[in-house]
Amino acid sequence: MVDFPPLNKISRRSALALPLGLAASTISNNFVKADEPVRGGTMVMIVQPEPSTLAHYAVTAGNIPPIATQIYEGLVTYDWDQNPQPNLAKSWEIAPDGKSITFKLREDVFFHNGASFTSADVQFSFMEILKKYHPFAPLLLAELTGVDTPDATTAILRLANPAPYLMKALAGRDLPIMCKSVFEGTQILQNPSANKPIGTGPFKFGQWDRGQFVRLDRNEKYWKPGLPYLDHIIARFIPDAATRSAALETGEAHFAGYSAVNYADLARMKTNPILDTTMKGYEMTPALSVLELNAKHPPLDKKEVRQAIAYAIDRKVILRDVMYGYGQPATGPLSKLFKTVGFYTDDVRNYDVPDRLDIANKLLDGAGLPRGANGMRFGIHLEVNSFGEQWLRQAEYLKQALAIVGIDLTLRSEDTATWLRRVYTNYDYDINEPFLSQGVDPVYGLNKQYLTSQIRKGVTFVNDSFYSNPEFDNILNEAMREQDHDKRAALYKKAQQILAEDCPLVWLIDVQYVSVFNRKLHDHTTGPLGTQQAFERAWLEK
Amino acid sequence: MKAGFTRFARNRMALFGAAVLLCLLLLVLFTPVIYPDNPFKLAGPALQPPGGRFLLGTDTLGRDIAAEIAYGARTSLIIGVGATFVAIVLGAVAGGVAGYYRGATETVLMRITEFFQTIPAFIFALLIVAILSPSVSSEIIAIAAVSWPSIARLVRGEFVSLGGREFVQASASLGASDARIIFHHMLPNCASSIIAVGSLLIGTAILLEAGLAFLGLGDPNVMSWGLIISAGRAVLRSAWWICTFPGIAILLTVLGINLVGDGLNEALNPRLRER
Amino acid sequence: MRLARYIGYRLVTALPVIFGIIVLNFLLIHLAPGDAASVLAGESGAATPEYMEELRHKFGLDQSLGMQFLTYVSNMAHFNLGYSYRNDADVSGLILERLGPTSLLMLTAFGTALALGIILGLLAATGRNSWRDNIISVISLVAYATPGFWLGLMMIVIFSIGLGWLPTSGFDTVGSGHQGWAEVWDIGRHLVMPAVSLALFYLALYARLMRASILEQTGMDYVTTARAKGQTERRIITGHVLRNALLPVVTLAGVQAGNLIGGSIVVETVFGWPGIGTLAFNALQSRDLNLLLAIFFISACLVVIINLAVDVIYVLLDPRMEI
Repeated sequence: MVDFPPLNKISRRSALALPLGLAASTISNNFVKADEPVRGGTMVMIVQPEPSTLAHYAVTAGNIPPIATQIYEGLVTYDWDQNPQPNLAKSWEIAPDGKSITFKLREDVFFHNGASFTSADVQFSFMEILKKYHPFAPLLLAELTGVDTPDATTAILRLANPAPYLMKALAGRDLPIMCKSVFEGTQILQNPSANKPIGTGPFKFGQWDRGQFVRLDRNEKYWKPGLPYLDHIIARFIPDAATRSAALETGEAHFAGYSAVNYADLARMKTNPILDTTMKGYEMTPALSVLELNAKHPPLDKKEVRQAIAYAIDRKVILRDVMYGYGQPATGPLSKLFKTVGFYTDDVRNYDVPDRLDIANKLLDGAGLPRGANGMRFGIHLEVNSFGEQWLRQAEYLKQALAIVGIDLTLRSEDTATWLRRVYTNYDYDINEPFLSQGVDPVYGLNKQYLTSQIRKGVTFVNDSFYSNPEFDNILNEAMREQDHDKRAALYKKAQQILAEDCPLVWLIDVQYVSVFNRKLHDHTTGPLGTQQAFERAWLEK
Repeated sequence: MKAGFTRFARNRMALFGAAVLLCLLLLVLFTPVIYPDNPFKLAGPALQPPGGRFLLGTDTLGRDIAAEIAYGARTSLIIGVGATFVAIVLGAVAGGVAGYYRGATETVLMRITEFFQTIPAFIFALLIVAILSPSVSSEIIAIAAVSWPSIARLVRGEFVSLGGREFVQASASLGASDARIIFHHMLPNCASSIIAVGSLLIGTAILLEAGLAFLGLGDPNVMSWGLIISAGRAVLRSAWWICTFPGIAILLTVLGINLVGDGLNEALNPRLRER
Repeated sequence: MRLARYIGYRLVTALPVIFGIIVLNFLLIHLAPGDAASVLAGESGAATPEYMEELRHKFGLDQSLGMQFLTYVSNMAHFNLGYSYRNDADVSGLILERLGPTSLLMLTAFGTALALGIILGLLAATGRNSWRDNIISVISLVAYATPGFWLGLMMIVIFSIGLGWLPTSGFDTVGSGHQGWAEVWDIGRHLVMPAVSLALFYLALYARLMRASILEQTGMDYVTTARAKGQTERRIITGHVLRNALLPVVTLAGVQAGNLIGGSIVVETVFGWPGIGTLAFNALQSRDLNLLLAIFFISACLVVIINLAVDVIYVLLDPRMEI
């Protein structure tokens, strides 16, 4: 097996021309730049907002991985088809019963503190850190019972039941490997290395000047010979959106991923000769913007009312005016990005039909909610998502859209803490407009949002709409352990159809992130994890 | 001759301010006629530059900015006047009681007033709005909470100087109740100063409201100038008009209020009147 | 000596004020729903109740309000401002890091506003009703009515994007490796627009007040006497009027110090200035109790100190003032 296969060089132009989803599988060496990589230079990337911590193993906020994955690596990486590729693990073997995975580890890897990387680090990282503190552990590592280390270069993950999704989540972004000697005997959450991370990656932590930047320095002893090319990466934090754009346009910053740049500014940026954009590198970062409907609050307990709301909204308007055309109207509970791995289906109840307003009005009439004197049937509240400006825009649109079918929406805008408490602890809300990351496998996005067992008071971003359907629960639980890919896909298709019919949520936009970069910066997006994997091959033209 | 010209020029400024305010009031009164639809309505394509079908262009959602500004004027005035009114009531009570009773009451009340003046006003206002959750009433409460100390100090000062005047002493000796003396004799005597200072407070209140809304602490169900700017900030460079026009509206309104306030100050407050 | 005693006396009288601020802030912030643990967990996407409990315990949020308050006061007495769980760092460290940029911004803005305000007010008053007075009056009237954040946005459009003269944001050019004067120049260029945005309102305020104050003084009897004695206007202004006219301006400047900190929240956010204002807004958004309490405390202390300084300047300016 090749240790690290040469990644395909991607032509930005050809990548952009291809439709989303198809791009990944059809890219080849069709365009090789004549320029050869150059060593040296400092890349400035914009990260928005500033992370509150770099404790990547315990907090999964989206602004941490762009920095943390430069430092922490995973057992594998993924190619454009989302197949696992060797990284800290040279090879692996899944037992026929699916209940253990044996990893052969590299011998020549060292942590930034000089300690050599062994199976003990894998064991400690999985059992003592990730399983105990990683927020996704209850889903991703639920089946993990232990890690055996027969020798220094062999780590065997023991599973209570098959966990086919686990092989999708072993990159540095999702399940990073930490150094045992740094954490052993300390309180994990208070460990000083939280904000001075020590990993095996191509860049070492340099300095964190709060409110300003994080500086990462080249790891001279990186195990991939000759890499990385850059001397430094600086992650800059600029709170104001217009100012972030300006920093790219003036050349002060080279890269802004994960939609750190306002969608509204992208059209102008594309005309800037020093800048270019790409939508690649987000193939494993599916996300949907949705409306959660509180089924405990009448009249949202009626399926017809929920469906009427889904019919009343014109997703194309949201896409055009709120998302500036980046993304696609969501068709159901799973992102279209899952098409690549065969789990997505659009064979579900379609809410985006020409006579949708008539249907919505009929459904509401049928539910016994006639229009009053002012043309309104009933009034409910919408909790405005406090994570950014665009959510207020979306809320303002929804107010208009629902008024057309006679639903009087009042917007409530609170700070993050109050909002989260109201929605996930007090359940004192009607409609909530969160943004749901769907993880690398349907098991993540579907289980936590719709399973009856995930109605967990006080826990954020789980089932807060009180959806409970035993038949659906059984299907998801079966799909979670099903090793046969086709059978699994069939189960998920059934699950999506049930959800679309019951309509516990209204799925709005299948989000598409965009990266903006300076044309002098090359090879920044080398895989489906894009911004959330190491920039080991990125280089700057002199 | 020169003094007469000066007075004229000065009046002209106040007149200009009054004219601006009059236009604003007319706009607010006739908004429902000019723009019968609610300002959140999507009126046309997004990001239309000014001058076309839409006088001041459209914003990121395709809403008519002219309509937004017209409805925003109402919000700004309601909050500006409302907060100032609450501040005057609070300030007059605190300052009046302190200036009338003097002694320990005065010390305590003035300590509290100073205390509220010491707290950085804007941070305090942010905190109040955040705790009460953003709405028109919470903005009024927050702005009043940071504005009343100046009125309290003013009223106390006036009361202290009035306290010795013969007529107050006369009413006191005639057995008038404290409340009667405060509300019937003393407060009307400082009404002119309160009006002059209060009119200027409206301008400050409007600026404060704009700042709060700009930081996302405005009432999301009500159109306001700060909200338009905050929404347009993201597209500042591709659509300059979204941020520019409401800013000009704020500027003109506050300017008009200040000019009128200055004029009132000179007319009503003899100590500042020029010789 | 008497001055030293006076300062000591004023410091002692300031103590109850500071204690009051601690009590008020603590109560206010605890009135608010939502806590730091739920925000942190919210950013994580999902968390177990056990994890949330652990976070709450770590933050001391599971203790009674009284206990939390006692802990806080005792910490303050030891100048230990607490730990920001949200930022995973010491509060005092976080504030100290931000204190430099904020002080620089505020002192620059304050100094510029005060100096230019006094000069413009003087120029306007001495050339009363001339074109000079009118221009200065109009400018200060407009500046007095302009929201600082809007001015900042407009300046970014004109000077950064349109003309490319000044950087859009930040404290300095990160990674430039500037040293010595090059660094000073670099920071200076970043400082111009935020400082102007913050200063303009106060500049207008001081100019207006200075003008009015001088005009009021020139009507006083002592000026008439001086004129009768045949002193030149220039000598009257510099010798007598200026010092007396400065008093109300200095007083107001002291009172305004607190507002300057508030104004810097908006301006710092617009320009990405890494100061206390940005820190305060982020802390408020994420309900970072310890950090917010500390910022309130520090800024209130700053105001107390500035007011004290103003009182001292007052005494120095006006010998008649009783100590």
